[in-house]
Amino acid sequence: MRDVLTLTKPQADRLRICAFLRICADLLWVVQAYAVAAVIAGWLEDDDHGIALVILFAATGVLRALLSYGAGRLVFDLGQQVVQHTRRKLLDAQTVRLDAALSSAEVAALVCDKIPLLAPYFTRFRLAMIRVRVVPVAFVLIALTQSWAVAIVLLVTGPLIPVFMALIGLAARDASARQMVEIGAVNRLLVDRIAALPDILLLGGFDRSRALFVTRVDALREKTMAVLRIAFLSSTVLELFSAIGVAMVALYVGFSLLGEITFGIWGAPLSISQGVFLLLLAPDFFQPLRDLAAAWHDKAGAEAVAEELAGLDVAPVLPILGRGAKVAPLFGPISISVNQAETFAGINLPDFSIGPGESVALTGTSGSGKSTSLTALAGLLPLSCGRITVMGQILNAENADAWRARLTLMPQHIHIPDTTLSEFLDPHGTKADLGPALRIAHASDIVAALPHGLDTRLGELGAGVSGGEARRLLLARAFFSGADVILADEPTADLDAVTAGLIIDALRRAQDSGKTVIVASHDPLLIDAMDRTVGLPEVQA
Amino acid sequence: MRRLWRVASLLWQASPWAMWRGAAAALTVLVMGAALLGLSGWFITATGAAGLAGIGIAFDVFRPSAGVRFLALGRASARYAERLLTHDTTLHALAKLRLALLDRLRHCPIDQLRRLRSAAELTRITADVDALDGLVLRLILPLLAGLLTHIAAFAMLWWLTVPSVALSIAGGYLLGGGLVLWLTARAALVPSKTAERSRQTLRRQVIGLFRGQRETIQQGLLPRRRDELNLTERAEQNAESRLNVIDERAGLVLNLIVTLTAAAALLAGDIAVGLSTLSPAAAAIGFFAALGLAETLLPLRRGLAELGRMHDAAGRILPSETPKPAALPLPEVSPDHQTALVLDRVTVAAPGRQTPLMAALSLTLPLGETTALTGHSGLGKSTLLDAIAAVSAPLSGRVTLLGTSISDWPDKQLREHLTLVPQRARPVGGSIRENLAIACDDLNDSAAWEALTTVELHGVVQRIGGLDATLGESGTGLSGGEARRLALARGVLRRPSVLLLDEPTEGLEGPLARQVLANLKHSLPDTAILIASHRRAEQEMADYLITLQPTHAEK
Repeated sequence: MRDVLTLTKPQADRLRICAFLRICADLLWVVQAYAVAAVIAGWLEDDDHGIALVILFAATGVLRALLSYGAGRLVFDLGQQVVQHTRRKLLDAQTVRLDAALSSAEVAALVCDKIPLLAPYFTRFRLAMIRVRVVPVAFVLIALTQSWAVAIVLLVTGPLIPVFMALIGLAARDASARQMVEIGAVNRLLVDRIAALPDILLLGGFDRSRALFVTRVDALREKTMAVLRIAFLSSTVLELFSAIGVAMVALYVGFSLLGEITFGIWGAPLSISQGVFLLLLAPDFFQPLRDLAAAWHDKAGAEAVAEELAGLDVAPVLPILGRGAKVAPLFGPISISVNQAETFAGINLPDFSIGPGESVALTGTSGSGKSTSLTALAGLLPLSCGRITVMGQILNAENADAWRARLTLMPQHIHIPDTTLSEFLDPHGTKADLGPALRIAHASDIVAALPHGLDTRLGELGAGVSGGEARRLLLARAFFSGADVILADEPTADLDAVTAGLIIDALRRAQDSGKTVIVASHDPLLIDAMDRTVGLPEVQA
Repeated sequence: MRRLWRVASLLWQASPWAMWRGAAAALTVLVMGAALLGLSGWFITATGAAGLAGIGIAFDVFRPSAGVRFLALGRASARYAERLLTHDTTLHALAKLRLALLDRLRHCPIDQLRRLRSAAELTRITADVDALDGLVLRLILPLLAGLLTHIAAFAMLWWLTVPSVALSIAGGYLLGGGLVLWLTARAALVPSKTAERSRQTLRRQVIGLFRGQRETIQQGLLPRRRDELNLTERAEQNAESRLNVIDERAGLVLNLIVTLTAAAALLAGDIAVGLSTLSPAAAAIGFFAALGLAETLLPLRRGLAELGRMHDAAGRILPSETPKPAALPLPEVSPDHQTALVLDRVTVAAPGRQTPLMAALSLTLPLGETTALTGHSGLGKSTLLDAIAAVSAPLSGRVTLLGTSISDWPDKQLREHLTLVPQRARPVGGSIRENLAIACDDLNDSAAWEALTTVELHGVVQRIGGLDATLGESGTGLSGGEARRLALARGVLRRPSVLLLDEPTEGLEGPLARQVLANLKHSLPDTAILIASHRRAEQEMADYLITLQPTHAEK
C-alpha cells in the first residue's frame, strides 16, 4: 500500500484547483500592496484618492480570505477521501486473514491514529509544495519589474532554495524526533503507572511511586530540552533568513529614496510608492517557504505511515477461504475427510474421516498443529497441498462460507465482545428461546447469577465472567445456533476438575443429539470421552 | 468554560515562573515583529519625504537603520528563546497535568482502578491528556502574550500617532479577536464531542472485530461488522468535517479581522494626514504595526479549533467532584498480635452481583502459619482475597485483622500490616530497583537481593544486568512467571503480618514452586500467609488446607 501517497487523477486535479485558489489568494497581496503604496505616496504628494484605495485594499483582503477559506474546505475533503479509502483497503485486506500480521491494538492504532496522518500530507504539505514553486518566483519577477537589486536580495536570502530546503529538512527531522521524545515518553510512563496503580496502592507505595515518577519526568524534560536546543537552531536560521531579507529590502529602499544608493533600478529613481510596494512584498515572499517548513513534519509523519502500510504487503498473505458472509448452509448429512493436507506453514494435518454423531480427539504435543488443524477444518486457513472434503465437495473459496454455516468453533482464548449476553448468544437476532441451549450447556445458573440476566452487558472486564463460564456460554451458543459440527480447541484447559467435567458432559450431550464433535486436547479425561483419537505427528525440532 | 479555567489555573500554578518567562519571550517576539514592520514603514516613508524635500543628506539614517537591523536579528533570536522557553513551560505543565491525574486516581477504589487497565481506557486517558497539552502552548501563552502586546502597542501608537489610529487597531484586534474566540469555542463544543466519541467507538469496534475475528467469520457476520464500521467511520468523518468548517470559518474571520483592522488603521491615518494632525511617516507606523500585530491573532486558530476537545477532556481528566478519601481519617488502631486474621461467616459475590459465590467461610489464621485456599474456579477465591484486603466489601460476614475489624483500619496503617499480591500484579517500566523501591522506603542493595533470592529470581536478575537492569512498560523483559515473582518479592519486602497471595506460582515448575514457597516461609517466619491456589505445590507446602464449598443452592 505504498501508493497511499499518490493521488488518483480526479484527486490530483482537485488538489491543483485548491492550490490554484491558494496561489490566487497569495498573489492578490500584490493588489493590496499596490493600494497601500498608493495611499502612502498620496500622503506625501497631497493626492486625494485615499478612501477609494483603502476600500480596494479591504475588498481585496476580503476576497483573499474567502479564497483561502474555499481552498481549505476543498482540500480537507480530499484528505478525508484519502483516509477513508486507505482505511477501507487496510480493513479489506486484514479482516480476511488470520495469520495475525498485526494485533488488534495495532490495527486500531493504524485505523484511528496513523492513517489520519495521511490527510495533512495532502492538505498542508503538498499544497505548500505547489505554492512554493509558484509564489516566490512570481514575487521575485514582480519585484524585478521595480528594482533588480531587491529581486537579487530576495533571491539571495530566499531561494538559495536548495540550501533552504536542506535546512528545512534538518529542522523537520529534529522536530519529529522532538515530538517522539517529549509527549510519547511521558505518556507511556503515565499509562504504565496507571495500569500498575492498583498494585502500587496495595503496597502502600503511592508516595514512593509518585516520587519516582517525578524524577523520571524531570529527567525526561532535561533530555528533551537538550534535543530542542539543537532542533530549534535550524528553524531559527530559517527565521533569520527571512528577517534579514525584509530588513535589507527596507534599508535598500530607504537609502534609495534618500538618493544615497543609485544602483539597482531601471532608469528613473525609486518612487515612494515603489518603495512601500517592495517593502510590503518582502514578507509575503517568504511566507510560502515558512509554511512549507511548518508542514514538513506532516510529510515525515505520512511517509512513516506509508512505510508501515507498505511493510504489510511484503509478507505473503494467506487469506481465509470465502468472505465470512452469511449464506445458505451446505446441504446434506455431515461428512468430513482429510487427505494428505498440509498448510503453507508446513504443518501436516492428520488423515481422518468423520460422520454425523461421531466424535474425535486430535492429540499431540504442543506445537504439533492441533489448533491449526481445527482452523483449517473451518476453512480459515488455505492448504498448500492435499485436501479437506466436506459433504463430498473439496473445501474451497466457493463453498467455505456455506460450510461454516454448519459448524461452530470454540477457540481456546475466548473473546467476550462488548455486547449484551443475548446478542452474544444470538448474534443473528433470531429472538428464539435461549433456555434449552443454556440448559444443555450447563449455563443456566451463570445467566441466573448475572445482575440483568440475558440483558447483562459483557465486555472485557465488565460483568466478570470466568474462563469456565465463558466456555459454557460458548457451548450454549453452539447449541443455539443449531450447528452440526463443533470444533473445540482445548475446551478444558486451565479449568478445575468440576468445571472441566461440566464441559465434557455438555460435549457428550452434543454428540448424543447427533452432532459431530472434534476437539483438540491433551486432557486425558476429555480424550477418553471422545469415540476415538487421532494423533498428530511429532514435530521435528 | 469553568473546567478549562480550572485546568489552566492548575497548569499555571505548576510553574508560574516558567509561564511568565514563556509569555515574556512570546511577548518579545510579537513586539519586535510589530516594531520591525512599523519602523521599516516609518523609515521608508520618512526617507521618501526627505528625498522629496531635497534634504536627503541631512536625514539621520544611522539610528533607524541600526534599529531595523537590531529588530530583525533580535526577533530571530527572541524567537529561538521563545520556542525553548514555551516548550519548557509546556513540559512542566505536561508533568503537572499527569501528576494531578495520578493524585486524583489514588483516591479511587482499587477495583475501579483495575478496570482502567484495558487498552481502550488507557488510550482514552492518553488522548485526553494529549488534548490538554495544547492548552498552554496554543491558548494560554499566545493569548497572554497577545494581550500584553496589544497593551504595549496601544500605548506606543497613542504616543507616536493619533488616538484614532491606536483605537482602531486595539479595537479591531481585541473586540474582533475576543468575539471570534467566544463564538468558535461555543460552536466547536458539540461537534468535537461527537467526533471524539465516534473516534472512540471506531477504535472499540476495530479492536472488537479483530479480537473476535474467527468467530465473526465463522458466524458469517464479517460483511455486517464491516458495514457497522463504515457507518461509524462516516459519522466520525462527518463530525470532523463539521469541525473543519468551524475551523476554516475561524480562519476566515481572523483573516477578515486582520484585513479590516489594517484598513481601518490606514483610513484613520489617511484622515489624520488629510487634517494635518499626523505626519505621513507616523501614519505609516500605524498601518505597518497593524499588519505586524496580525501575529498576535493568527496562531490562536489552532488552539481555537481544539478548544472543544480540550473542554471535553478537561471534564474527564479533572471532573469537578474529585473522589474524596474517607470523610474523616480513621483513627490509628493498636494491633493485637494474638491472632493474625479471623473470618467470621464471610461470603463474597462477583462484582455487581448479589448472589454469594460460595458457602459462608469462617477461619482463624495464626501468625507464622501458612494456609492454602482451594476450591474450583468460579467459587470466588480471588474475590475473597479482595474482600480480606478491603479492596471490595464482602457480601456478608466480618473480617478481623489483628483484633480490629478490617473496615476500621485506616488505609495507610492497613497496608503496613496486610499485603495482597494479586494474580495479575504487574511490574512497572523502569529498573528492577525502582520496582522493588515501590514496596519500601530506603531500599538498600542487600535487602533487594535478599528479597530476589527469596523468590528465586536472583539468577535471572543477575543475568539481565543486576538491579539497574531496566524493564519495558508493564515489565517486558521478564517472562510471565518471572514478573509474578518480582511482584512476590515486593510483597516480601513489605514484611507484613498477613500476606495474601493469589496463585503465586502459576507457570512455575513444581520443584521451583516448592522452593519459592519454602523460602517465603523461611524469610517471613512471623507472617500469616494465605495462598489461593489450585496447584499441588501450594497445597503440599501449607500448614492448613481450606477448601471453599459451593453454596447450598448448587448441587
